[in-house]
Amino acid sequence: MTSTRTYRALGLTLRRSPMREADLLSVMYTREYGKLELLARGAQRLTSKLMGHLEPLTLVRVSVARGRSMDQVTEAEVVDAFPAVKSGYENSARGLYVAELVDGFSALSAANAELFDLAVQTLAALGTAGNTDLALRYFDLQLLRLSGFLPELYVCVECGEELEPDRHRFAVGAGGTLCPDCGPTDVVVRPLSLSALKLLRLLHRTESVGALPELSVPPPLEREVRDTLAATLQYWLDRRIRSQEFLETAKFV
Amino acid sequence: MVSEYNPGTARSLSRLIDELNRLPGIGPKSAQRIADHVIRLPGEDARSLADAILEARDSLVFCEQCRNLTDASPCEICSNPQRNQEQICVVEERRDLVALERTHAYRGLYHVLHGVLSPLNGVGPEDIHLPQLFERLRETGSPFQELIVATNPTLEGDATADFISRRLGGTGIHITRLARGLPVGGSLEFADETTLSRALAGRSALE
Repeated sequence: MTSTRTYRALGLTLRRSPMREADLLSVMYTREYGKLELLARGAQRLTSKLMGHLEPLTLVRVSVARGRSMDQVTEAEVVDAFPAVKSGYENSARGLYVAELVDGFSALSAANAELFDLAVQTLAALGTAGNTDLALRYFDLQLLRLSGFLPELYVCVECGEELEPDRHRFAVGAGGTLCPDCGPTDVVVRPLSLSALKLLRLLHRTESVGALPELSVPPPLEREVRDTLAATLQYWLDRRIRSQEFLETAKFV
Repeated sequence: MVSEYNPGTARSLSRLIDELNRLPGIGPKSAQRIADHVIRLPGEDARSLADAILEARDSLVFCEQCRNLTDASPCEICSNPQRNQEQICVVEERRDLVALERTHAYRGLYHVLHGVLSPLNGVGPEDIHLPQLFERLRETGSPFQELIVATNPTLEGDATADFISRRLGGTGIHITRLARGLPVGGSLEFADETTLSRALAGRSALE
């Protein structure tokens, strides 16, 4: 980062919260600088030029002035408001799921352009993808990969032997798949169906969310893959994924 | 617990500063300024302030119908037969109700949610007064013809509006949402694209 008094960034807004009487604290993930916490003075006022630009799940180009305790947004221009993600309770819940995980897996001022691109492409896909659940599972696995927590899917994490078809288990705490003979005693080992393993490998090998094939995934398989990835994400996050519960509620509205 | 960071300050004054500092939007310096002001008040005024806080805290209840905070349930608005009994307006907070009442343009009833659905903060339908709203609208003999959803035009407010709308589909109640567009005194140049798009879509004829 240069030492100029101002800088520009392309950011995906993750969340915002009111500060003082009329200010906003905007947390966004930027391509250039990673996660930033920025002050938006007066942004709660209806006539503020920033009003509306800092809503969560919005891709914005911002100009920022460095501050003593907190940098401040001086200008914002919406690049993509992802209207499809914001249309309806269920779509919003999916978008906020992406935002919560990006927020949880990123550190302040630690840039990861690939993670930024993944988040933006996933939000864009949620508005157009036929199988939005598959898009979210792709996001889950790629997020783990980009954060350095990709579970092993091809060999036993204990002995290193290549897995034989249908003779494998999964242990989040061990780092991924296990052969039938290895079983560390200090981690929870769960079964993983061959279909689920194949789907996880497909998600790993697919180059982008846009390249995902149109698949009809049976609900039990989708649940199994979702639960496996959720367990892995929560293990590394060290807390539950709050927006996940909303996704479940949304399906029954 | 009295803060250790008020050196040279009497314990009772430190306690007052610490309590004020806990209030939202009140930082350490504001807390000190307010505390210094309060201790200089005439005794009667200081006691009046303390009594007002205690009275509000102890006597306020939720209106059994609209969930607004009131001294007596049902509240003044719900008890008023002059109000339009067929219209109900859902708001997020008590202060939103106050803002709408100030317009003198709405004469129906209200329902206060005391929050909004927020996945990121773990706020679900059971955490705000949504079940009470649904019960109120579904009960036999309910007079409501129109439900105005006046949650804020934010991601969470829109998601809450959509949730309400989908839950009440099929009840025959006409569900509406406050119009949105450019604020008075605002500028096209600085409006965000979403607001501008919606303002364009909702344009009306000049009479």
